[in-house]
Amino acid sequence: MNTAVPAIEVDSIVTRFGDQTVHDGVSFTVPRGQIVGMIGGSGSGKSVLVREIIGLLQPTSGRVRVLGTDVWSATEDEMAALRRRFGMLFQDGALFSSLTVEQNVATPLIEHAPVPPHLLGPLVRLRIALAGLPAEAATKMPSELSGGMRKRAAIARALALEPEVLFLDEPTSGLDPITARGFDRLVRFLCDDLGLTVLLVTHDLDTLLGIVDRAIVLARGKVIADGPVRDVCRVDDPWLQSYFHVRRMLGG
Amino acid sequence: MDTPHHFCRLEQREGQATLFLAGDWRLPRLAEIDAALAATEMTALPLTLDGAELAALDTAAALALLQRVAGAGASVEGLAGFNASHKRVIEAVRARLLDTATEGPRARRVPPLALIGMHVIDFRGLMEGHLGFFGRSASALGDLARRPRALRLKELTAQFEQTCIKAIPVVVLVTFLIGVVLAYLFGMQAEKYGANILVVDAVAIGTCRELSPIIVAVIVAGRSGAAFTAQLGTMLLTEEIDAIRTLGLSPMQVLVIPRFVALIVALPLLVFVGDISGMAGAMTVANPLLDITPTTFIERVHAELNLDHVTVGLVKASVFAAFIAIIGCRMGMTVSRDSRSIGINTTSTVVQCIVAVILLDAFFAVLFQEIGI
Repeated sequence: MNTAVPAIEVDSIVTRFGDQTVHDGVSFTVPRGQIVGMIGGSGSGKSVLVREIIGLLQPTSGRVRVLGTDVWSATEDEMAALRRRFGMLFQDGALFSSLTVEQNVATPLIEHAPVPPHLLGPLVRLRIALAGLPAEAATKMPSELSGGMRKRAAIARALALEPEVLFLDEPTSGLDPITARGFDRLVRFLCDDLGLTVLLVTHDLDTLLGIVDRAIVLARGKVIADGPVRDVCRVDDPWLQSYFHVRRMLGG
Repeated sequence: MDTPHHFCRLEQREGQATLFLAGDWRLPRLAEIDAALAATEMTALPLTLDGAELAALDTAAALALLQRVAGAGASVEGLAGFNASHKRVIEAVRARLLDTATEGPRARRVPPLALIGMHVIDFRGLMEGHLGFFGRSASALGDLARRPRALRLKELTAQFEQTCIKAIPVVVLVTFLIGVVLAYLFGMQAEKYGANILVVDAVAIGTCRELSPIIVAVIVAGRSGAAFTAQLGTMLLTEEIDAIRTLGLSPMQVLVIPRFVALIVALPLLVFVGDISGMAGAMTVANPLLDITPTTFIERVHAELNLDHVTVGLVKASVFAAFIAIIGCRMGMTVSRDSRSIGINTTSTVVQCIVAVILLDAFFAVLFQEIGI
C-alpha cells in the first residue's frame, strides 16, 4: 500500500448551479488513516462536494484525486478500479429495496471480488456482524428494518470490498443517541484497526467531538476552517460560534 | 508474484503446530489465499499463528484463515509476531466467527395448492378493498354535493389537463390508424359483393360503439391509471399523505375526488375525439381504395349512424373512467413502504384496469342487447 499518496485531494473546486455559486475554490487534502469531519450550515454544499469527490457530479472546475486517481480525467476502467477501493454510505442508506440485506451486501462481492463460493456466505455475515447488525437481520428486506438498522446494513454493504476510503453522508442523522454513539465506535474501529480513511459529513456535535481527528468547515463556498476540532471551535465565524455555542449551553 | 507456498507454512513439533503467515492477505488475493490454505494440511493440534511476515491483513482474509482452522478442528492457541493492527483484525473477526456460521431463517417454500389458495384469498381481499374504496369515494362525492365549495378546482383542472388535453395527440393518432385499418379490412370483403358503401356503416358504428371506447380506455388506463398509482404511491412513501391527514384535510377530497371527477369528464371527451378521428381515418382511405368520396362518406354517416350508438359509447366511457380512477387511486394508496412496491402496484393497476374495461364492455354488450339499444 502506497502510503505516500494522500487518500483524498481536493484542489480549487468551483461549483455553480445556474448563477448560484456553491463552491468558490475549495481545497483540502486528507492523508490516509484519518477521520475527517466536514461541517457547514444547510446548503453549504457538503453533500454536493462528496458527490463530486466520488464522481457522481461534475464540478464546474477544479480537480479531485482519490487515492492518486484524478476522478474527472480518469478513463472508465481506471474509475472502475478506483470504485472498488472506496465505499459510500448515502444519507438514507440507499439499499436496494428488492434485495434482502444479505443480497445487498453480497452484490459488490459477487460483482467485483474473487471470493470462493464457500466463503461468500460467511464473508457477507461477517460484514453484517461487523456493522453491528444481529444475524436475524440478514434475511430481511430493507423495508422491514428500522432506520438505524438500515444505516448499519448500508455500511455493511459499503464495507463489503474492504475499501481504503469510506465516505459517510450524515451517518448518525435520524438515529437515537445510543445507536449513534455505537455507530461512532464502529467508525473509529474501522479507522484504527482496518486502517480506513473516513470522510464524513455530519451535523452531529457528539460525532465531531468524539471521533473526528480533523474538521473541515465549509461556509460561503470556501473552507473557512480546517484543523483539529478544538482549534476549529475557536475560529471567529458567526455560524461556527453559534454552532459550538449550542454545545456550551448544554454544558458539554 | 506470491506462490501459494508463500502465503502460509505449517510447522509441527511436540504436539504443537505453528502456522506462519506471509505476504499480502487482502480481499483481491482471497482466491489464492484460500487455495493456499486448502493446500496446507491442517491438523487438529493446538495452533499458534505467526504473523511476523504479514504485509497486510484484512477481515476477509482473516475470515478465510479462521474458517479453515475451525474446519480442521484446530483451535487457535496463540498469536505470535503480529503487529497491533493485524492482531486487532484477527480478534475482531474471531469475536464474530460464530455469527458468520449461522444462517438466518429462510423463507419457507409454499406448496402449489396453498399458493393458489393464497392468491384466491388475496384476490378476494383486493376486490373487497376496491369496493370499500369505491364506497368511500362515493361518500366523499356525497359530501361534495352538499358542500360544493370543498371541490379542489385547481387540482381538478390540473388533473384534467394531464388526463385529457395531453392525451389528445396519442388518442387521435391511434384511433385514426385503427380507422384506416378497419376501412382496409372491411373494404377488401365488401368489394367482393360490390357493397363498398356498407364499409362506412361498419366503420362508423364499430368505432363509436365499441372500438373507440375500448381503445381510448386502454390508453387512458396505461397513461392516467398508472400515473395515479405512481403519484399517490410516491406521496404515501414520502409521508405526504400522512401530512395531509395531520393537517385535518381528507386525502379523499384533496387527492382522489379531483382525479376521479377529472377522469370521468375526460374519458368520454377523449372517446368522442376518438370517434371523429377513427372515422376520419376511414374516410381518408375510402376515397382512393373504395371510391367513396368524403361527401358520400359524411352523408352516409349522417343517414346510418344512429345517435344511440354514440351515446352508448360515451356512457360506457364514463363507467370505464370510474373504474380506472378507483383502481388507480386505491392501488396508489396501498403501496407498502418501499420503492419496489410502487412498480408492482403500477403494473397491477394497468393490468386490472384493462381487464376491468374488457369485462365491463362484455357486460354492456349483453345488457344493451337485452334492453334493445
